[in-house]
Amino acid sequence: MTKAYPFEPEEAPPEYRGIPRIDPVLCIGCGACANACPPNAILRIDDPENGTRRIVLDVGRCIRCARCEEVCPTGAVRLTAEFEAATDDRSDHVEVVELRLARCRGCGKYTCYTERQVEKVLSLIPRGILDFDRVREKLPLCSECKLKLTVLNATKFGEVEP
Amino acid sequence: MIEEFEARFGPILEKRTLGEKKVLYTIMARPEDFQNMVRSLLAGQNVRLFTMVGTDERAVEDAFSITYWFADTSKGELLGVRLYVPEDRPVFPSVAQFHRGALWFEREVQDLLGVEAEGLPDRRRLILPDDWPEGVYPLREDFKYSESPPGEKKYPYARPPEGTSVHAIGPYHIALDEPAHFRLFVRGEEIVGVDYRGFYSHRGIEKLARGRLNYNQVCFIAERICGICGFCHSTAYAQAIEEAAGIEVPERAEYIRTLLLELERLHSHLLWVGVAAHLVGFDTAFMEVWRIRERVMWLAERLTGNRKTYGLVVVGGVRRDLLDYRRELVERELDVMKREFNDVVEFLLSSGGFVKRCEGVGVLSKEKARAWDACGPVARASGVDYDVRRDFPYAAYRDLSFEVPVEKEGDVLARATVRIEEVRQSISLIEQILDAMPGGGILADFGDIPEGAEGISAVEAPRGENVHYILAGDRNTIYRWRVKAATYNNLQTVPDMLVGYTIADAPLIIASIDPCYSCTERVQVVDIESGKSKVVRLGVGICR
Repeated sequence: MTKAYPFEPEEAPPEYRGIPRIDPVLCIGCGACANACPPNAILRIDDPENGTRRIVLDVGRCIRCARCEEVCPTGAVRLTAEFEAATDDRSDHVEVVELRLARCRGCGKYTCYTERQVEKVLSLIPRGILDFDRVREKLPLCSECKLKLTVLNATKFGEVEP
Repeated sequence: MIEEFEARFGPILEKRTLGEKKVLYTIMARPEDFQNMVRSLLAGQNVRLFTMVGTDERAVEDAFSITYWFADTSKGELLGVRLYVPEDRPVFPSVAQFHRGALWFEREVQDLLGVEAEGLPDRRRLILPDDWPEGVYPLREDFKYSESPPGEKKYPYARPPEGTSVHAIGPYHIALDEPAHFRLFVRGEEIVGVDYRGFYSHRGIEKLARGRLNYNQVCFIAERICGICGFCHSTAYAQAIEEAAGIEVPERAEYIRTLLLELERLHSHLLWVGVAAHLVGFDTAFMEVWRIRERVMWLAERLTGNRKTYGLVVVGGVRRDLLDYRRELVERELDVMKREFNDVVEFLLSSGGFVKRCEGVGVLSKEKARAWDACGPVARASGVDYDVRRDFPYAAYRDLSFEVPVEKEGDVLARATVRIEEVRQSISLIEQILDAMPGGGILADFGDIPEGAEGISAVEAPRGENVHYILAGDRNTIYRWRVKAATYNNLQTVPDMLVGYTIADAPLIIASIDPCYSCTERVQVVDIESGKSKVVRLGVGICR
């Protein structure tokens, strides 16, 4: 019965929830995984000065619940069949995906969402139903500019129909 | 229970109905009646102290609240008595003076909330670490979950009686799988007294749920309360939330939950039987039993994705369905297991060594079991006929038939017999579940959890009842989550079991309740980030 593990490979069954990995190509940096993660193994860290967002996954904190996989809108987070997390360097456990934050079209400051998130949203909008170009124009706006625009539109509305 | 209580005290109380046969009374007028109420409740033949919850309600009610929950096991009724304790004088009359089962609850509430029980027989610290400063109460709302205040290390251990010496087991000991510290006062070989100091593995889970988690994240953290009966904890938690929010769980989800709960009981009991065999020096049986247990672990992995932490329960249902191929796996494994288990039990019980070591050792009388509110196999081995699955049915247990094994002797052998019989019942339950598995969805749709809603739910874990209480906060968070694990009651009976036996019996007696220290201990706040250093030296403070 005794196996020669770790000298012979031990395979996990197909249902196994192993170590999660983030595909940096698919990740849009929305942070849904960070919101769902019970042990805070995934963090969303923004740097508004330099305009970057980092999604940091620390496998050392991960409890393999697979909530991140469930909530990911692009399928970027996937649980692998790997279970061996032993290492002599803690930094081996940390996986970082760094993305650019979108610049606001109004004031030029960095917004609180990434360029990829904007692309994703635009790709979801059905062509022909909405005025695509107007949406494209509005989309990367920071919350402050969005607020201003809303107020502006509201006043315009008031002029037309008192 | 509820009827009699209402007839006697009804008019002076405010009543809230939580569910069918679940009522909560709030004392508005006379707190001095509180002790009488508890006395009259506990005088009932089948009434036990279910759990006790202390909550910091200063934001809403300008007071702390203390709620004692009682269960009438013959009628399936739950009754809560809530007492508001003013902020400027946080004192309430102690129940532990006349009911020993309340002792730890009151010590805990004194530690964590700073609410004192007047007349408490043992006023020592229970939960907080030895170097926690006086007057800092971690479960109060104004205490941040990430704080870790420095203090001075001291703990008043009980004085050994005249003419005895101290034999310490733990905090780290070969016979214990988790840290716990038993100080045996021995005269020669004989144990004449015991002092217990535990709660070394607190992880601040209740405070975390309040400080950082949303209600669905808690399911996964709840599962990590215990390394053995984790699924029982997450189910009990989810059921409490479902009750508070009025969520109807799909039938299929309830059946899948039940299947896994029974699978968990199987592996836990097999683990215990193996450990018991190991502790009496019968390692062949230990290996054999654990080989069978491995089948259950493997099966759980195929069903849920992990050997132990199933991660399957979310509020409103379950996350994975029981597909046809999984069903076949269960059927195939059960067939083998039934045969192998019978063989190994015969092998074990035919060994004179095992039976002689267990027989007449660590006897817990029925009276003592009731006085400490023991539960699970420990209570059943002492003649207390109580099982949450039968008396407070949840999940799919209403539709299934099973027997509750009860023994009279109250010794280690009786506890073993109860567990062995329960394994057989579990196998039969799983077979029934597979036959009766209904179709349909596995996850319910629901809206927000109403603020201030309360829910209380119990699950029969392998060791006894796990009681979870929930008070919902605003924006889908939890205001108060109270976990009471089975070992919380059972561990308190251990000193009574040990007295009169020898040191050589101690590890087996302690193991016979199947203690789970992690389950019992949840609330200490430890922060690694703050850099607070603690030097742990073996032997310090153990013997003087």
